[in-house]
Amino acid sequence: MALIHLTIVTPECRHYDADAQRIVVRTTGGDVAILPKHIDYAAALGSGEARVTEEDGTVRHAHIEGGVLHVASDQVQVITSNFRWTDEQ
Amino acid sequence: MAGASMKDIKLRIRSVESTMQITKAMQLVASSKLRNARARMEASRPYMKVARRAVWDIAAHNTGAQSHYVIPREIKHRCYIVIAGDRGLAGSYNANMFKRIEWDSKDANCCVIPIGRKAKEHYTRRGVPIITEIEKVEGLDLSTCEALAQRMLDSYDSGEYDEVVLAYTSFVSVLTQKTKLKPLLPLDTRDAPEHTSKQMLCEPDADTLLKGFLPQYLGGLIYAAACDAFASEQAARRVAMDSATKNAGEMIEDLSLRYNRARQSSITQELTEIVAGAEH
Repeated sequence: MALIHLTIVTPECRHYDADAQRIVVRTTGGDVAILPKHIDYAAALGSGEARVTEEDGTVRHAHIEGGVLHVASDQVQVITSNFRWTDEQ
Repeated sequence: MAGASMKDIKLRIRSVESTMQITKAMQLVASSKLRNARARMEASRPYMKVARRAVWDIAAHNTGAQSHYVIPREIKHRCYIVIAGDRGLAGSYNANMFKRIEWDSKDANCCVIPIGRKAKEHYTRRGVPIITEIEKVEGLDLSTCEALAQRMLDSYDSGEYDEVVLAYTSFVSVLTQKTKLKPLLPLDTRDAPEHTSKQMLCEPDADTLLKGFLPQYLGGLIYAAACDAFASEQAARRVAMDSATKNAGEMIEDLSLRYNRARQSSITQELTEIVAGAEH
């Protein structure tokens, strides 16, 4: 199965760096899902929920505020200064 | 005479001992700060790499829009963001940074944004125009960096300077730190990585995207550089204080030897005098 390689970074920490099936993020233009083999893409992120479907199918939820989503040949990067997993206690 | 010299030596030993205590304490403080600083630095490094690549990629697709963040202007004024230490006694850490910039900026009019007390003092003394400043490197947070980046971008937009260079000391190992000059603006797309994609969809357009993201991006870079510089400062101080402590130890050994010699010779002299007195 095709996967994307997802990296989520803030200047303070790298929150995620692994393969994933899918990520849904809120851009300034609305929610966008990135699946494998997506066209190279860049978008400004708004404020809202992000959902990451990991390699094994588990869905993780997070909150993102601002930043940029960047996709280049199945390498997906979320670069932001405000990121927080909402499913972590 | 021997007595006076003995007293002098004793005083010196005492003063060297108290200096040694201070350098030893500073070394320990620097070691513990270094541990935390290194962790922060390691955590911030991926951002530099990932964010830079993304911005290169977006900027490379911005050629149609001809944003002034990408097109180099004629350089009349240059702005240096200088990250130096808050305190001295870190070997040549601060001096190296200032020397490097002095050497680099020879032919240009420049202004600075100092980060750290030592940098601010240095440039105030030299009368170099200061755009804005941050007093402390230690415990610098991201939002302060972003505010600084915004302020820097505003001045860049209004044409106060035509190039921005970030100067900081990068941590290689505890024994080696390297001064680095990193051009921030205009965005340098020439050394973009080879695999930069040819076609890319940007939402909204690349120009708006860049404009919105730049304060955050540059703030992040400054933050990461500050983490790097702070770790370097602590490492430099640790090494400097370590050698100072060693030198003080050697000095004490040397002085003790001299003290014992002086004591011995004064005893010998006293004995000679007593024996001479008894013979008469």
